[in-house]
Amino acid sequence: MTNRLKSVNNIARKVGGIRNLLFIILAVGLSLTLLLDIFVVEKIFGPLTYLYIALGIIAVLYGIQPLYASRRLVRYYWDRAKKNRLAVGGLGFIAFLILLAIVGPFFTADPTAVNFEEKNLPPLGFTIEESVYEPETGQFITKTITGARQHPLGTDNKGRDLLAMLISGARISLQVGLFATGIAIALGTLIGVTSAYLGGKVDNALMRFTDIMMTFPFFLLLVLIVFIFGPNLAFIVLVIGLTGWTGTARLVRSEALSLRTREFIMASKALGASSGRIILAHLIPNVISLIIVIATLSIPGVILAEAALSFIGLGDPTVASWGMILRAGQQSLDTTWWVAVAPGVMLFLTVLAFNFLGDGLRDAFDPRSSV
Amino acid sequence: MKEAILRVRNLKTYFFTRRGIIKAVDGIDFDLLKSECLCLVGESGCGKTVTALSILGLIDSPPGRVVGGEIYYHDVDLLGCPRDQLRHIRGKEIAMVFQDAQSALNPVFTIGNQIVEQVKLHLEVNDREAKGRAISLLEEVGIPSPEKAFSYYPHQLSGGMKQRAMIAMSLSCAPQLLIADEPTTAVDVTIKAQILDIFHRLKDNRQMSILFITHEFGVVSEIGDRIAVMYAGRLAEIATTSELLNNPKHPYTTGLIKCLPDITRERDRLESIPGTVPSLIDPPGGCLFHPRCDKAIAICRKEQPPPLVVGDGHTVFCHLYS
Repeated sequence: MTNRLKSVNNIARKVGGIRNLLFIILAVGLSLTLLLDIFVVEKIFGPLTYLYIALGIIAVLYGIQPLYASRRLVRYYWDRAKKNRLAVGGLGFIAFLILLAIVGPFFTADPTAVNFEEKNLPPLGFTIEESVYEPETGQFITKTITGARQHPLGTDNKGRDLLAMLISGARISLQVGLFATGIAIALGTLIGVTSAYLGGKVDNALMRFTDIMMTFPFFLLLVLIVFIFGPNLAFIVLVIGLTGWTGTARLVRSEALSLRTREFIMASKALGASSGRIILAHLIPNVISLIIVIATLSIPGVILAEAALSFIGLGDPTVASWGMILRAGQQSLDTTWWVAVAPGVMLFLTVLAFNFLGDGLRDAFDPRSSV
Repeated sequence: MKEAILRVRNLKTYFFTRRGIIKAVDGIDFDLLKSECLCLVGESGCGKTVTALSILGLIDSPPGRVVGGEIYYHDVDLLGCPRDQLRHIRGKEIAMVFQDAQSALNPVFTIGNQIVEQVKLHLEVNDREAKGRAISLLEEVGIPSPEKAFSYYPHQLSGGMKQRAMIAMSLSCAPQLLIADEPTTAVDVTIKAQILDIFHRLKDNRQMSILFITHEFGVVSEIGDRIAVMYAGRLAEIATTSELLNNPKHPYTTGLIKCLPDITRERDRLESIPGTVPSLIDPPGGCLFHPRCDKAIAICRKEQPPPLVVGDGHTVFCHLYS
C-alpha cells in the first residue's frame, strides 16, 4: 500500500504536484469520452456540456482549491474590495444572476411553450390598446389588454412567457460569457507569458501572430463558421474564445516582461528549474491578479458580442439568448416594446455589474492603492 | 593538495551590443578546491557576477555569450554539457545565493513553499519529508521558530531573515559548491556578521566549497581562504588571504587595500584610486590598469602582463615583477 502511494507520489512529482496529476487524468478522461462521442457512440454529452465539465475541472482544481487553501489572503482582499460599494453590488447582482440561471428554469414556465391565446400580453401593471379585427361585424374594434399575473413580464408575439425566456437567456448569456472568456484568457495568458519569458524570435513570432489575429475580422470568421457548420452555440463560443485572446496576451506579456527580469526568476533558474516550470510555477501565479481583472472585464464584452451576433441573425436559433429575444422584440418595437426592453435592461445591468466588479477587483489587487 | 572541484580556464564572456563588444570577462583562470572559500574581489562592473553566471550557464543570450575557455565541475564540462544535465547540476550540485534576497524570492509563495519546491525538484522525497527538510534547513541558517517561518511570505520577514531563507533554499539539496554573489551587501553590519558565520559553519560542517563574490575587504579577511582580485574582466592577482592582505603586489590591490578606512590612521580624507574602470568596449591596450596606475612603465602600454608566480600560490599579473 505504501509502495503504491509512493509511486503515485513519484509520478505526481514529475508533473509538478498531485493537482496537476489529477488535472491530466481528468483531461485525458474527458478527451477520451469526446473521441468516443465523435467516432463511436452518438451524443453522450452535448458540446456545451464538454465545455462545462472542462471549465468545472479547471475552476475547482485551480480556482476554488487554491482560494480555499489561502483563506487568509481571500479575506484580506475581500476586506479591501468590500469598501467599494459598487463592486459589492455588482458581485451581488452577478451572484443573483448565476443563481437565477441555475435554478430559475425549474420554477418558471417552459420558455418555448407557444400559446397564441395569450400572445402580446404586456407586463403586469401595464395596459395597451390593440385593434382587433372582428370577423362577425367585419370591423376593427379597439380592445384594452392588461397584463396577466401568470406572465409578470408579458409575452411575445407567439405567447411565450418573457420572464421564462429571460431566465433561460441568462443561462445562455452567462455560459457564453464564461466559456468564451475562459478559453480566451487561458490562451492569452499562455501565449503572453511564453512570449515574454522566451523572448527573442519566439516573442517576435508570437506577437506578430497576435497582431494578425487582432486585425483579423472575427465576424467574417463567424459568418464562415456559421455558414459551414450551421449556427451552433458551441462553435460561436469557440470562435469568440479563439479570437478574443489577443488583448489578454498583450497585457499579460507586458506584465511578464517586467517580472522576467526580476531576480527570483534568475534565482529559480540558478537552482535548476526548467523553462516550463518557471512559466507555470513562477510567472503565472504572479500575473494571476491581472488575469482575474481582465477576465472579469472581458466577460461583458463577450456577452455583448454574442448578443450582437444574435441580433444580426448569426446566433443559434435554437436557444433563446438575450440577443435573440432582443432581435425578436425590435421587429415589433412600436406595439410590443417590452419584448425588446426586458433583455436590453438585463444586458445593460449585467454588463454594468461585471464592469463595477472588475474595477473593484483591480483596486483591491493593486498594491499601490492600499490605504 | 586538495582536489579542485571547479576549474575555470581562460574564460571569456562577451556581450554583443549595438555599441560594440563588451569583454565583460576576458580570459580568467582559477581553481576552486574542496571545502575552500575563494573570494572574487573587485570594483563594480569588473566581471565578478558575470563570472559566476557563466559558471552556471545563466548568461542571457543574446546579448551575452561565453565565447571561449573551459569550465569543469569535477569532470563535467559545464560549457559543453547538454542543457538537461546542466539543469540537474544547478541547484543540486552548484547553488547560488543572490545579493538581494528581497527580489530573489518569489513574492507570491511562502518561504517554506519555495524550499519544498526546490527540494522536490531534485530529490525523490514526498511532501512530508520535504517539509521536514525545509524546517531543519531554516533552523540550520538560524531562523527562530522555523515552523512558523515556514508559512511566512517573503514580505513578512526582515532583510536578514530573507537572506537566511535564501541561503536555506540554496542549501536544500546539499550542493557541493555554493556561489554567493555579494550576499552581505544588502544587509546591515550585525546581520552581516551572522551571515558570514553561517558560511563559516557550512564550510566547516558540510565541507562545502564557496565562491564568494564581494567588494569588501573586511568580509574577505573574515571568510576567504584565497582571494582573486579582478580588474576590468581580467585577474590582477591571486593569493591566499593572509599573503594578499599583508604582501599585496599588484598596484591595483595595494590601491584597493589603501582605500580601506583605518581606525588607527589619523587622516581626514579617505584614499581612492584615481579614475574609473575603463570602458570594456574600447579598452586601453596592454595592461588594462595602466591609465590609473602610478607605477606604470613603458611596457604596460603595449603588452598584456603574463601571470608571474611571486610566492607560494601567489600569482600576479603585472610587468613590475618580471
